[in-house]
Amino acid sequence: MHLQGLNDLDYNSCLKCNACTVSCPVSNVTLDFGGPKHLGPELARLTEQQEPIDDKRIELCTLCGTCDAVCPEGVPVSSLTANVKALHAEENGTKFRDFVLSHAEYVGKIASAFAPATNLTMKIKPARKVMQWVMGMHADRQFPVYRFNNFKRRYTKKTAETKRKVAYFTGCYATYNQPDIGDAFVNVMKHNGIDVAVPKQKCCGVPMFANGRMKEGKKNAAYNVDSLLAYVRDGYDVVVTCSSCSLSFKKEYLHYLNSAEAEELAQHVYDANEYLRFLKEKDELNEDFGAIGQRAGYFSPCHMKGQGIGNPAMDMLELIPGYEIRDLAADCCGQCGTFGFKEEKYPYSMKMGESMKEAVNELDAEITVTECGMCKTQLDQLTEKKTMHPIEVLAKAYETV
Amino acid sequence: MTARFETDVVIIGGGVTGAGVVRDLTLRGVRAILVEQQDVVHGTSSRNHGLLHSGGRYAVRDENAAIESYRENLILKETVPGSIEQTGGLFVKVPGDDDDYVRQWLKSCEKVGIPTEEVSVKQALKEEPYLNRDAEAVFRVPDGAVDPFTLTADVIADAADRGGGLLRYHEVTSISRQNGQVESVTVQDRFTGELKQIETSIVINAAGPWAAHVARMADVPMELINNKGTLTVLNQRINRQVINRLRMPGDADIFVPAHNVTIFGTTGVNVDRPDDTSLDRDEIREMIQEGAALVPEVENIRMIRAFSGSRPLYQEKADSDASGRGVTRGMALLDHEKRDGLGGFITISGGKLTTFRYMAEKTADLAAEKLGVQAGCTTDREPVPHRVTDRDFSKWDLSPAAQKKVQYWAGTNVERLEKSLHESVNASEVICECEQVTWAELEAAFPEDRPFHLGDLRRRTRLGMGTCQGTFCHQRAAALAVENGYATNQEAEAALVNALETRKKGMTPLGDEQTRRQTEMMDAIYCVSLGMQKEGESNV
Ligand SMILES: Cc1cc2nc3c(=O)[nH]c(=O)nc-3n(C[C@H](O)[C@H](O)[C@H](O)COP(=O)(O)OP(=O)(O)OC[C@H]3O[C@@H](n4cnc5c(N)ncnc54)[C@H](O)[C@@H]3O)c2cc1C
Repeated sequence: MHLQGLNDLDYNSCLKCNACTVSCPVSNVTLDFGGPKHLGPELARLTEQQEPIDDKRIELCTLCGTCDAVCPEGVPVSSLTANVKALHAEENGTKFRDFVLSHAEYVGKIASAFAPATNLTMKIKPARKVMQWVMGMHADRQFPVYRFNNFKRRYTKKTAETKRKVAYFTGCYATYNQPDIGDAFVNVMKHNGIDVAVPKQKCCGVPMFANGRMKEGKKNAAYNVDSLLAYVRDGYDVVVTCSSCSLSFKKEYLHYLNSAEAEELAQHVYDANEYLRFLKEKDELNEDFGAIGQRAGYFSPCHMKGQGIGNPAMDMLELIPGYEIRDLAADCCGQCGTFGFKEEKYPYSMKMGESMKEAVNELDAEITVTECGMCKTQLDQLTEKKTMHPIEVLAKAYETV
Repeated sequence: MTARFETDVVIIGGGVTGAGVVRDLTLRGVRAILVEQQDVVHGTSSRNHGLLHSGGRYAVRDENAAIESYRENLILKETVPGSIEQTGGLFVKVPGDDDDYVRQWLKSCEKVGIPTEEVSVKQALKEEPYLNRDAEAVFRVPDGAVDPFTLTADVIADAADRGGGLLRYHEVTSISRQNGQVESVTVQDRFTGELKQIETSIVINAAGPWAAHVARMADVPMELINNKGTLTVLNQRINRQVINRLRMPGDADIFVPAHNVTIFGTTGVNVDRPDDTSLDRDEIREMIQEGAALVPEVENIRMIRAFSGSRPLYQEKADSDASGRGVTRGMALLDHEKRDGLGGFITISGGKLTTFRYMAEKTADLAAEKLGVQAGCTTDREPVPHRVTDRDFSKWDLSPAAQKKVQYWAGTNVERLEKSLHESVNASEVICECEQVTWAELEAAFPEDRPFHLGDLRRRTRLGMGTCQGTFCHQRAAALAVENGYATNQEAEAALVNALETRKKGMTPLGDEQTRRQTEMMDAIYCVSLGMQKEGESNV
């Protein structure tokens, strides 16, 4: 019998080698963080069958997952740090601010209902100062814009009729902040003769896990597995444009839900460009791209790196005639989901973003391409370049004749 | 010139037994010196399971041992609280184990007064998720986990604080007798080779597996079976409480939690040499297979090392049951004046860690009688200072895990610890990550009497006892020791070579993939990065 529950978060293979801590974007800019080795496998071992240890420094962990990707022994480091976060939140209560930040969807719903007002408040300095006092969000931080005409309002199709069928998990960012990504994705699929359905869905849970709100995160995860699996069993492929959402289906859900259903779903989840690459391998991809003469830098989000599937976005963009795409090969952006919004994390966030900023300046391309809305927020803040989602570029190439 | 001392009692052997005796005598106001050939707890006292027996294990076969164990169990919980975790324990019957034995066991426990309580299997699994799901019956007993390192060290330290003498790294090389009476012992300093003579009225042989050897120095014949048991250390703590198999005592029966790990074992093989602590890969493998009946996952959970120690089992005649387990676990207190006509010579052997205090009491009673001392034993109520401290460490920049460690560990060292935190630059830095040992703790634990030795620090702080077995902390500790004037370069290097060798000795026999990778990393750091020579290489 396989004791899933016991060994799922096995830290025993940790050799203490420090690869995780050396690669950790946070540890690289500050000694205030205990580092992923200590707060992950080490603390797990020191508290197993003993009283728990609450370590405040866990707040600095962004759950970027770089530690998981570099561990030579395959220790699920970030799942272990997520547990420490959960404990910390339980012991200390979550701040109202963290509640707001971890409920992108809830905030999205409210904010996009009052979009013009919200955006105005977010931009006006005095209001921002109030937010810093009351909520502990940094006044200098740029916030993503909320759209009144969110993607849920724009696109309501619940089924697909074509041979290949896609169930699109939109994610909070494309739903509330940048519905253009959703539109672009539907168009790209249309050019490939594939119908897109948007199943009922809730926030993937990543922001909740990151703020230690495990119970709610798991609830959302269970909801999504239920909803999406029904589509999978109907012959749909699940495709996702947000790298954090797709990683959560592929990795976090397996740890947190620990169910056969989560395993089954994970087998059928694709990042959007990974899906296109898959179509190409099957000789099903429409490669009728119009030429775009543009130099672009690709910034790979941590949650994309963590999927271990290479750079599918670059693989796709290279197919566009005239398109020159270069890997910025930069470290973590430092925004890290909700991390960079918090007042006390803001200085770390800025420091962490330095290497990315330098890479962008050095390459000096016309635009930056990245899948992640939170990386985009940081790119917008730290660089002068326009940032686009790769799917938006591909949609443009299909439209260009 | 041989240095000379004079005392009333010399105790040979710095194990838990000798520790108990020197403290007991010191409390009675008797002048006593404890002599140990290596560091304290060099022998069986550091090579055991660390189970504070409730007596349950002996209830059926050895009523006296069971009664003594339970009584001492209660006394030690009160008198050496800093070294005991009151975990409680479970006796578990698994499929195939004899039902009759269970009935017999319950009856015996009741008879000797060991409290037992039946626990539903469901409840037991909730408490101990690694337990075999097919367990058939579970009973709760008042077992505990005892840290033999701190126990021995603290008992000796308390004796020393009250005026008792201690000579570490001094080997007793001869015992002189005059007119049927012991007269003096000669000891040799391990490091300088210097000989010292201690004149004394009484010599107590508490040399554990070496007891027969020491007896021979006094021309006294003695038969001792040294029964070697092997144990392994799991990388993680899998149990909250002690888990025993409910059957006639056999191999691989017990899982004892020890701080952050679980100690699992054991076996029994008779050996010739008292210092035979060899390990056998097949024996370990068989033990693990057997242990899987109680904890199936034991076959998959990473182990970090194995070790072995010998039970000194006294037999009056050479031909008694030689199987080891059949011989009594009770103590053997020999008055050689009566037995062999040598006045002033006493041997205390056999017994258990759990019963060390009682063994010491009886031994000290005998010594006191010979010396005409009236004072009685007080160790059953006079506590050894606790390890847990309520001193506030939150003002130092310690990680919560390291803070917890010192809070539970500082004991009487608290003054030295705070001094280090005050004065040393690196004090709050964690040197050994696996066991969360800070430089302050190391600084507070440096024995003052001897050259730098990483093993001495390990036994006092748990440095290098965790997952990586010193891969990182040994070199950090050695470097800081040199930097802070505790050791010369040469001493530090010698200490590293020695530490590496002893850590590997317990790792290599495991032969599993994970341990191999860990040792490979160890080699990479010490042999490649630090350029130390790999053992054996010079002979190639
Ligand atoms: C595998 C195993 C598991 C065990 N598990 C448990 C358990 O769970 N619970 C329990 O209660 N008991 C247990 N025991 C029993 C317990 O460990 C021993 O009974 C106890 O430690 C013996 O202590 P000691 O002081 O008599 O001997 P030791 O600890 O061996 O001390 C003897 C000392 O004498 C020193 N010495 C020898 N010769 C000389 C000399 N010439 N000059 C100076 N010094 C000398 C040695 O270096 C040594 O340090 C176990 C034993 C074994 C082997």
